[in-house]
This record gives sequence, C-alpha cells and structure tokens, in this order.
Amino acid sequence: MSWLERLRRFKGNPVHGKEFRERFRLRRTVWIMTIYLTVIGAVMLGFMYLELMDQSVFVPGEYRDFFIIFSGLQLVMIGFLAPGLSAGAISGERERQTLSILLTTQLSPLSIIGSKLISSLAFIGFLVWMSLPLYSFVFLFGGISPQEVATVFLFFVINIFFFGSLGLFCSTWMKRTGVSTVTAYAVTFLIVAGTGILIYFWAHFAAQLDWDLDHMLSFQLFVSLNPVYAFLTIFEDQLRNETMLKIDPWLIYACFYTAVSLLLIFGSAYLLNPLRRSRRKNDIIKN
Amino acid sequence: MIRTQQLTKHYGKTKALEDLNLHIEKGQVFGFIGPNGAGKSTTMMILSCLLLPTSGTAYVGGYNVLTHPEEVRQLVGYMPDFFGVYDNLKTTEYLDFYAGAYFIPKSKRPGLIADLLELVNLSNKKDAYVDSLSRGMKQRLGLARCLIHNPEVLILDEPASGLDPRARIELREILKELKRMKKTIMISSHILPELAEICDQIGVIEKGRMLACGSVEEMALRVKGIHVLLVRVLKERERAARILEEHPQVKQVDDQRDHLRVMFTGSKADQAALLKYLLAEEVPVVDFSADKENLEDVFLAITERMGS
Repeated sequence: MSWLERLRRFKGNPVHGKEFRERFRLRRTVWIMTIYLTVIGAVMLGFMYLELMDQSVFVPGEYRDFFIIFSGLQLVMIGFLAPGLSAGAISGERERQTLSILLTTQLSPLSIIGSKLISSLAFIGFLVWMSLPLYSFVFLFGGISPQEVATVFLFFVINIFFFGSLGLFCSTWMKRTGVSTVTAYAVTFLIVAGTGILIYFWAHFAAQLDWDLDHMLSFQLFVSLNPVYAFLTIFEDQLRNETMLKIDPWLIYACFYTAVSLLLIFGSAYLLNPLRRSRRKNDIIKN
Repeated sequence: MIRTQQLTKHYGKTKALEDLNLHIEKGQVFGFIGPNGAGKSTTMMILSCLLLPTSGTAYVGGYNVLTHPEEVRQLVGYMPDFFGVYDNLKTTEYLDFYAGAYFIPKSKRPGLIADLLELVNLSNKKDAYVDSLSRGMKQRLGLARCLIHNPEVLILDEPASGLDPRARIELREILKELKRMKKTIMISSHILPELAEICDQIGVIEKGRMLACGSVEEMALRVKGIHVLLVRVLKERERAARILEEHPQVKQVDDQRDHLRVMFTGSKADQAALLKYLLAEEVPVVDFSADKENLEDVFLAITERMGS
C-alpha cells in the first residue's frame, strides 16, 4: 500500500469521530472543562489580586511573572490531565470487550494508536485553547515577547504529546485502566519530581567534591530533561547563559521527549498487534 | 474456504489446540461443538487474525492468516462470545463507525446500514442508543456489524449464549437467511440443537482435538448407527410406543408427551418400512421425521467413547 493511500486511510479513520462524539456526550467532559477553567482562572486572578492590591503605580513590563505563573499552572494541569486522559484509551477498549472486534477491522494497530492519541490530545489542546481568554488578562500587563508566547505554546504541545503518549503506552501495556493510570502518573511524577530530586543530590554531591557542574556536559543534559527547569529556561536568560550547551535547554528537552514519544507510539502499536512476529510473504494457496 | 493444517496452540503447558485439521467448503455452515476450554474460541481467534498459533497453518479464502491478515480480515466477519458496545453511540452511528473502519465510502453507508438493520430486524431502533438495547438486540446488532463489509466468511463464537428463547429463534432465522445468501459460516454453540437446523457439518472438539467431523446424520450413524426419529400420533400414543418397541430395529422409545422419540438403527429405506408398518398396524401417524435435535446424543456419545 502506498504512503498516499495510508495517509488517505488515516484521514478517513473513524476513531477520531467516534471518540469526540463519545467524549462530548459524557457529562464528565463538561465537568472537566468547568473545573479546568475554574482552577486555572481562580488561581491566576487570585494571585493577580494579591500582587496588585498594594500597588499604586502600574509599570508595564514588570509583571511578566504573571505570565510565567499562569503558564506554569497550565503545564501542571497538562501533566495532570494528559496521562489520565490517554491511560484508558486502549485498556478501556479491552475492558469494554471492544478491542478484539476493532482489531479484526482494516484499521492497523498504528492507525488505532495514532487516532486514539490524536483524540486524547485534541481534547487537552482544546482545554488549553479554551483558556486563551484568561491569557488576555495576563497580556494586559505586558512584559512578554511574542516569541516567548509562541515558545511556551510549542512547549505545551510537546508536553501534551509526550504525556499523552506515555499514558497511551501504559494503556496498551497494562490490562487494566486503573493500573495503567497509576503507572502513567507514577512515571510522570518520576520525570518531574524524581529528576528534580536527583539534580538536587547531584548538585550537593558535586559541591562537596568541588566539581564544576557548569562545565559538566552530562549534568547539563540531565538537568535539561527536567520539565520545570526546561520551562524556566524559556523565560530566564540567566539560566540559559549559565549552561555550556550550545542550544537552549528547552530545545534539548523538546527533542528528547519528542523522540521518546515516537518510541512510545511505535512501541504501543507493536504491543497492540496480535500477530507480532516475522511474516513470510507469498504464502497463498488456491482455495 | 477455511482450511487448517496441524493447527496447534499452547498456552504455556496447556494445550489449547492440538493438530487441528479442518476443511470447510464455500457456502457451508459448520457447527463447532465442544465443552468450555475445548479449543473452539482459540480456533476462531486464530482464523480471525487475533491469535498466533504455536505451530501449523490456517487459511481463509486461500490466504494464510499469518502472512496476509489484511486480506483475511476483509473476508471475515467475526463475532466473539462476549463483546461490548460503545454505549454513547446510536445504532446507526455504531454501524457507521465500523463501516469507516473498513473504509467503506461515506456515500454508500446510509443505504448499507439501513439494509443491515432491516436484515437483523432493528430498523425501528436506528435512532436508539446502543446502551438501551436488550441483549438479544445487541447480539443482532453485533451480527449486523459483522456483515458491514459484506464478508464471505462469518465466524460466530457462541452467538446465542445468554439469549432468551425468543431471541434465540430470531437469531436462528437470521442465520438461515445468511445461509441462503451463501455465506460460509463457522458457528459454535453450547445449545447443541440450535446448530442442527442450520449446520451442514459439525465438528466435535474436546481438549484441543477434533474428535469427529461430518454431517449430523453421518455422525449419528458413525457413532452409534442410530437415527433419532420423531413420531407424532393423533391418539393411542401408548399403543404406538408399544408397537414401536416391538420392532427389531428400534432400540428405544421415549415418550415426550406430544411425540415419541425413537432410536432407530436402520437406513432410510428401513425408516420408510417402519412407517408402512405403523400404518399397517392402524396407528394414526400425523408426523414422521428424522429428529435433527440429537446433537446432544452425538456429542455425548463421541466424548464418552473418547473418555473410555
């Protein structure tokens, strides 16, 4: 089958449509949207209120922290929602006893995984898109360049893609949605907090041994894989300048986790294939 | 249409299937009989490209299930013994989803779905949510789903399990219609008499081994040399039973209230002679036919013989 035909089939894949239809018919979806906007809006507006209530003079450009905090909050929500939403994509089909039927259709395991991922990620993307009006409050205060805004949104896309792929992989690997969700959150925690703790110990250990961490490539690369650090380097020139790396840490983060996401997607497709073993071609007999 | 050669499947040390050789001609209805864990579902899953065999080969429509799964999937409509549905979809949306999964053009789908819903008697439920359907209706919808890409082969794993008698009858009528449409059907069931009416061939499987395979009549003769006959009389049932018991070729007569079930060892010509004998004895016979509902006896006899 040609790549064009594969692309045409992927475009006509019915899984996205079914997933959107099913998701938006659930009352739970409305609650997720409401809670997402309420939490993110309340925290942001509350923070703004506390920061500004004692200020008598408004200086444009000095309030870029609002944008960073608001974006950080979005990142936390993405890390919280993306694995959870995709962790039931395949195991849910298995639990509903619909997976075997789906696998007997002409949809390939890769197209099933791809469309499941797209539908999960599209919903999270939709949540971020919904929060754009809240960003308008932050933009009022200025201090952020369009390039920083674009970079932050690209960073969100990469995180959505990675955490979604992680959840999907767990969902394909584990039989039960409960187990896959817990595993996906545990790995997310390890990536966020685990790498942070390791960096902390590494830094203290290095300080005792008088190691120059600013010129230690392995440490610089490892630090770049922490989402919080990578996120902060988008805004903080000082953090970027401290490193000996030629490229921005957030770019290393983006490249590494995009590659891991692709591995997770292909790994999921491999695990989903019920006939995963080498194939011998030209094996047709006359009926 | 379906062929397996030394098909074997092991789950660890458990032998689910052992050297299964099967040949089902195009347009035939093949009934698969066996207790739980006999290997029926394993065979069906291998034929539907859902399971790898440990050894051996399986072909559907001439295509090897391992090397040409895409072609096999296009030929096969598979209904598992237990399957779920997407609760938040309407019946037409449910079928439309699977039509999309077989890349059927959107323009053709409405007509196709309407026809299939009519075939399975669910036209009046086209706007109903799948969740609201009864088990029998869901089973019929599952059958419509199997037919969405017009497959030549239907593999139905216990399609009647858990259905009430009315739903079973409705399902059987649909299967008869599919048989008339020249579909090759492989069907398994625990309710053995259900298969008798529609099957051309039956295969008895136990502990992964095919014990016997052939038409219902052949199997009965091969195992015991016995045909089961149904005899209905207008009156004097007890006298008719006595006369039958005295006949040398009658092994046993069971009074089933509205009819007599006769175990008869003889050919079709002998059956005609038996009827003539009953009429000569002035027994008011209103029905005299071969009972196809003797699969249970066949199955028990075959498995008993193997056991001993």
